[in-house]
Amino acid sequence: MVDALFFQSLGIIVVSAAVLVMVGRLIRMPAIVVYLLAGILIGPVFGWVSMNPALGLISETGIALLLFLVGLELSFAKIRDVGKVAVAAGIGQVVFTAAGGYLLCWVLGFPVMEALFLATALTFSSTVVVVKLLDEKGELDSLYGRIAVGIFLVQDLVVILILTFLAGINGGEDVNAAKVASGLGKAFGGMALLLGMSLLASRYILPKPFRWAARSPDTLLIWALSWCFLLVFAAHAFGLSLEVGAFLAGLSLAQLPYNDDLRRRVHPLMNLFIAVFFVSLGVRMDASGAAANWWPTLVLAVFVLIGNPLIFILIITRMGYSRRTSFLTSVTVAQISEFSFIFAGMGLSRGLIGPEILSITALVGVVTIAISSYMIIYNHPLHAFCERIGLLNWKIFQTPNAAEDAEAGKHDDPLSGHIIVVGMNSLGLQLVRRLHELGETVLAVDTDPVKLEGLPGHTLVGSVEYLSVLQEAGLERAKLLVSALRIEDANDLLAYRCQMAGVPSAIHVVDLSVVDNLMDLGADYLMIPKVDGVKAQVRKLKEMGVIKS
Amino acid sequence: MNLFALLLLTAAVAYGLARWLRLPSLPLLIGGGMALNFCGLLPEGFELGGNGGTNHSGAAMRILEFGLVFLVFASGVELNPRRFRKFGGTVAWVGSVQFTVSAVIGFFSSRMIGFDTLEASYIGFGLAASSTLVVLRQLRVRQALFEPFGRVVTGVLLLQDALLIAVIVVLYRLDGALAGVAMGLGGMVLLGGVAWIAQRHLVPSLVKRMKPDEESLLLWLAAVLFTFVGIAFVLDLPLIVGAFAGGFAFSAFPLNGLVRGQLSSLSDFFQALFFVALGALVGVPDGQQWWVALQFSAIVILVTPPLVAALAEWRGLNTRASIESGLLLSQTSEFSLLLGVSGLASGHLSAQGFEVLAMTTLITMILTPVLCREGTAKALLPLHPFRKRHAPVRPPEDHILVLGFGSAGMWTVKPLRAQGERVLVVDDDAVVCRELTRLGVPVMRGDGSEKAVLDRAGASEAKLVIASMRRVSDALEVLQHVRGVPVIARVFEESDAELIRKAGGIPVMNSDASADTFLEWMSANERIKNLD
Repeated sequence: MVDALFFQSLGIIVVSAAVLVMVGRLIRMPAIVVYLLAGILIGPVFGWVSMNPALGLISETGIALLLFLVGLELSFAKIRDVGKVAVAAGIGQVVFTAAGGYLLCWVLGFPVMEALFLATALTFSSTVVVVKLLDEKGELDSLYGRIAVGIFLVQDLVVILILTFLAGINGGEDVNAAKVASGLGKAFGGMALLLGMSLLASRYILPKPFRWAARSPDTLLIWALSWCFLLVFAAHAFGLSLEVGAFLAGLSLAQLPYNDDLRRRVHPLMNLFIAVFFVSLGVRMDASGAAANWWPTLVLAVFVLIGNPLIFILIITRMGYSRRTSFLTSVTVAQISEFSFIFAGMGLSRGLIGPEILSITALVGVVTIAISSYMIIYNHPLHAFCERIGLLNWKIFQTPNAAEDAEAGKHDDPLSGHIIVVGMNSLGLQLVRRLHELGETVLAVDTDPVKLEGLPGHTLVGSVEYLSVLQEAGLERAKLLVSALRIEDANDLLAYRCQMAGVPSAIHVVDLSVVDNLMDLGADYLMIPKVDGVKAQVRKLKEMGVIKS
Repeated sequence: MNLFALLLLTAAVAYGLARWLRLPSLPLLIGGGMALNFCGLLPEGFELGGNGGTNHSGAAMRILEFGLVFLVFASGVELNPRRFRKFGGTVAWVGSVQFTVSAVIGFFSSRMIGFDTLEASYIGFGLAASSTLVVLRQLRVRQALFEPFGRVVTGVLLLQDALLIAVIVVLYRLDGALAGVAMGLGGMVLLGGVAWIAQRHLVPSLVKRMKPDEESLLLWLAAVLFTFVGIAFVLDLPLIVGAFAGGFAFSAFPLNGLVRGQLSSLSDFFQALFFVALGALVGVPDGQQWWVALQFSAIVILVTPPLVAALAEWRGLNTRASIESGLLLSQTSEFSLLLGVSGLASGHLSAQGFEVLAMTTLITMILTPVLCREGTAKALLPLHPFRKRHAPVRPPEDHILVLGFGSAGMWTVKPLRAQGERVLVVDDDAVVCRELTRLGVPVMRGDGSEKAVLDRAGASEAKLVIASMRRVSDALEVLQHVRGVPVIARVFEESDAELIRKAGGIPVMNSDASADTFLEWMSANERIKNLD
């Protein structure tokens, strides 16, 4: 049953990525750059791996999961906040970049059709790359992160329209107008239908069944993934990209109270699959023809790295956002997208462009994705540097900041000096209530959202087996963690994490056989209800007069 | 991608049904897949024994193979001997004897039904292993995972998985020369050795030194998996053997804890896809196959419980826990299906044989929650050959009856006896009874929730009954049998305390008592006070 060749390819991809990630950590190289580099090494350089449909399917699944996560992170309300700027900047950038790119290509001596293709390819920025980096930085939910995601979704829609248009061209001058019109109609109709469907579902259909499913973490995960792939299927049926379907699926679940828990559960899946996508992207790179065209490649890469953000800063500052937000948003568009390769590939297959255009696009892609990854990872120091040297002091970047006034004060301060209580059984519930009565700041954590309802203080839905849950719970800043869980493995892990973080811990002892182990793991206090209960029983017997004190 | 959507939707329905019907999800996932096949919803090329071709079905097949390897890897991560080290001897005896005897009975039954020797070997071993996924779920639901019998059962399951991996290696090479089998076993030992070194030294020190984030850790995990799969490939071993060894490399604490969250998402995803796909590949068997599967299911259900119960009791578990252990293990395993897949791939097992094995797994897994109800073990207690021979004793009067001694029973018994109260302890654990007899405490061996035992212990004539058994249902039974005598019962959950109160008992809340003690500690703890 097992296909050794597939395992060999996947194995080489994973092992090479893991080894390079280890090396990359030493020089703080972003994971995406490492993956691309690994792909280029095992693909075009050494020829160890060639693409096959199964790797393609894993890559597609990774992209779907990534966009599903983006949707989960946001909500209709958050998207609405930035809708105007996203549409204006998204469309404005496509127009200006395409015009600027065309002009540049014309100056560089490319024929009309090839210049048109190159210019169009330069307008698409990579949703997957940027979302992955913002997710790594934990800034997807920031104002600039939301604007960037909005812009990318508008761009994705433009990409779909252009690809639909291209699909209607049968080579040369032959344009099948009916096919183009029906394709565009289907895409717009499908988009409207999917958007309406996900809005309705999020408000009226999903909350009740998902509340029921949320009491069982595995059911919740599978239901959510099914919903994601159902919308991906629907998007595919309407000729839309899988990104749009997955994003809307995530968005419609983002309104539910357990979206954070769901996000944490989908994250590992996405991480594994998206790594294969990025390495595969490197494997597919064929930049051999670009060597002969290194000069235009360099010029076009610089245009994408500097020109694109510049166009964006101008548009976004015009809409009332601060220089800082405009700068941070603009840095995210300094690369071209995997769609650019698909677009160029389609042009080549239809005989509209020569192979060197595809090679130039590929090389511009690698260079801009790699450099812009660094720009996004270090966007805050980069902004500070640009401010320091006065680059952003020009009059054209001045703005009244009106659009950001409403944003002020929206974010709560993180918890500090609090007590985390994990596991809402009777012990956990009792502790939360009594600690709250004593005036402590308490954060209750459980996988079952129903158990957290009506509790005083703060609550968090999630499994403590995920590091991200403890990070969100602010373990590092907590003054104590108390586990009422009756799960030995989870308690061991909590004691270990607390020891590592230097936070005192009190752990529920399920069975006396685990005492030594928990002591070794540095637990500060062991709650042994069996023993405490016997002592209470003796007190009860004294009250009843059975035992005379 | 559309096939994924179909498989996941089916899995979603199966999970929903499982949650609604309180059944394990695994048989419903397989059943859901069979329904897909029955309705003709599967794409072309997606069929048993096929490789799916080079089209989309082929790509989906490859991902499912990856899923299979990943699930085996996740099982290997759980293979941490520390969990049941106190019960190592019991686990080894119960696990190995039950596995061997069940396999032999399964083999001869298959031969009698008409399977050839090689197929009968696959089916026999397939019937011998129990499902880790199903049993752990049952233990978790009953919160018995960390009770002694829960630890023994967990250990037996992991031992069975390891034994089945060895069996896969042997059967994989069985049609070659004996030297080939020996080479295979040698390769497995070598792989195991590498995994052991990796588990003890390489992987922990690497992780400790590099302190990876969750994304990098997951990638390293996958890299270790593929490295071991690669070594297995070089040694000409089945790839899942490599995956299991790779998982073992991550089984030491704290590494297994650090990766558990990451693994559980991936396992849930692959489990859903893989078992629905498996059901879809198997299809709906005909009447004859159903009949054979029913016979095999009967063998599993009739052989495993008494065998395990006898072995466990012999090794020191109390009678009821031993019977419960047997009932918990009375189903075939997801690893049996892996064995079947391996047999199918090597041409040793016919599609029909595999389908029968899959059906048996489906039936026995569905029956597990029914067999494992608390009442079943109790109902079987009177069938125990040695329990009826207790000589009737003259019931004592005006005494204090302590039902269940446990590890903290002396805290209660000692002050009572010190002030001259007549105390009688009832406990089902032979070791506890021996120790109490040695200390001169009157004791009677038996299940404190049984009416006959309560009568012999003079429960109705006692001046107080202290019910300290593990299960609340036992305390409720005591309250039903004993009228007019105050009954104290210790419970953990508030809902249980309410049940005791309603039944006329006096609950003592362990959790409240522990919360009191904790708050006392906290208020006196300087380190925490300084953090304010």
